[in-house]
Amino acid sequence: MEHEKNFQKHDQFTLTMIPGGFAKKMRTCLIFQAFRFAVLNVKMLVVVSKSH
Amino acid sequence: MAKIVIMGGGVSGHTAATFAKKWLGKDHEVIVVTPNSQWNWIPSNIWVGVGQMQKSDVVFPLAPVYKKAGIDYKQALAVSIHPEGKADSDTPYITIESTEKDTAGQTEEVTYDYLINATGPKLNFDATPGLGNGEGQMGSHTVSVCTADHAVHANEELQKIFDKAKAGKKQKILVGTGHGMCTCQGAAFEYIFNIEHEAKKAGVRDMIDIKWISNESFLGDFGMGGLHMKVGGYVVSSKLFAESLFSERDVPWLIGAHVSKVEEGKAHYELLDGTTGVEEFDFAMLIPPFSGVGLKAIAKDGSDVTSDMFLPNGFMKVDAKYDAGAYENWKASDWPRTYQNPDYANIFACGIAFAPPHLISKPATSVNGTPINPTPPRTGMPAGIIGKAVAHSVCDLIKDPNAKLHEASMAEMGAACVASAGKGLTTGSAAAMTVYPVVPDYETYPGTGRDTKYTFGEIGLAGHWIKHVLHHMFIYKAKLHPGWTLIPE
Repeated sequence: MEHEKNFQKHDQFTLTMIPGGFAKKMRTCLIFQAFRFAVLNVKMLVVVSKSH
Repeated sequence: MAKIVIMGGGVSGHTAATFAKKWLGKDHEVIVVTPNSQWNWIPSNIWVGVGQMQKSDVVFPLAPVYKKAGIDYKQALAVSIHPEGKADSDTPYITIESTEKDTAGQTEEVTYDYLINATGPKLNFDATPGLGNGEGQMGSHTVSVCTADHAVHANEELQKIFDKAKAGKKQKILVGTGHGMCTCQGAAFEYIFNIEHEAKKAGVRDMIDIKWISNESFLGDFGMGGLHMKVGGYVVSSKLFAESLFSERDVPWLIGAHVSKVEEGKAHYELLDGTTGVEEFDFAMLIPPFSGVGLKAIAKDGSDVTSDMFLPNGFMKVDAKYDAGAYENWKASDWPRTYQNPDYANIFACGIAFAPPHLISKPATSVNGTPINPTPPRTGMPAGIIGKAVAHSVCDLIKDPNAKLHEASMAEMGAACVASAGKGLTTGSAAAMTVYPVVPDYETYPGTGRDTKYTFGEIGLAGHWIKHVLHHMFIYKAKLHPGWTLIPE
């Protein structure tokens, strides 16, 4: 439960949300992030196309 | 032959100039007046500020690019606008002062048929005593990442802090905004997390306390009232995500803060509840507030009409509704659409140079009467789109004086933003965000003011890759390499 230690480090942190191990792992998982790279690019291009 | 003069060669001015020249060809003259000899991809300055990029990675010389494009380039500071000409001539002109090494200080008059003001901001360090040096430049107590040179200096100072931490001396770092009326929280947000990332890499995170200070009334405001996005079936505020990022990285925050004075190792502040305090630091990066660059407007009879053309903050009046009044009366339609000056149809302002009608964030004032709220951001994508729209309008007006002007309201356009939280091909991360529209429109999108189908945020390695790709893509585009027009703003 290493990621939960920060809740106790500061009063401000107590009522926030802190990612767990799985969420943190997925942030740097190359396969998952390659997929997200493609998805994010498409989503951004949609916003860009709506803005021109 | 018509003559277009563009004051400023940043994202918006460079976009306007290059598209105007492309569309008009050799039949008309395009002149860029900018005091800088180099173009700077500012979003990457934060990486220079932590030593992960060199200055040469984020700048390139403007002269060869403008020569290739057929744009007349004058390295000079725009000083005054004379929209009605002078006593013996009706031809409008601007006065400029050279910043080139050999001709520094020499003045010149440059006539125009159409004028585009894209001067960007003045970094108003002196608005906070001690943040500036009293002569308009950054002071010695803090650092900045607003320019490439500032970022180089910031990294030099940061490395000293890391060295002290490695030597076993506990260090305190403070990052955020240096005044109650700052904008550009995003740059400070990126910088603090890049410092945190580098401190971990250097093995000194335990020896460094890192703290955030900003004028936002809540974390995740970013000067645009925050944003809402769909996550896990919920529609949630950016506040939750920003607080999560800070908590995860053990970075406490001080918000609703107006930094009132800076001394060596100390930042004095006032909070929204009226209380005051002092935050001590060994290293501080505090973003200065922005103002207009101080251009003067002079009438034909020589009288000073600056207050007619510019708001008191120095930004140029355009087709915005400046008398909207209280927050409750604000509407998306207050925001400008064509960026044409209301008094002079041949003058436009784009990028940071135009005067917004009001804040985007909800106004806030401390119990002592000090305004403490972020001013509206005008990031790269809106600045580029507005610059292109203005160039399009000017080109059409040259061909047909009755042409309909092109529109680019920030209340009808989105923005894609990638906020780095650490650099590294496999270890980096960034928050990739889009917001649509930039200015909330509560009539069209009741509740959040924005379309949650197109407003989202996500942190991860993919965001870092996107930021890296954008770095190379936009420098490629700015250098006018083959296919540059295919890359969107």
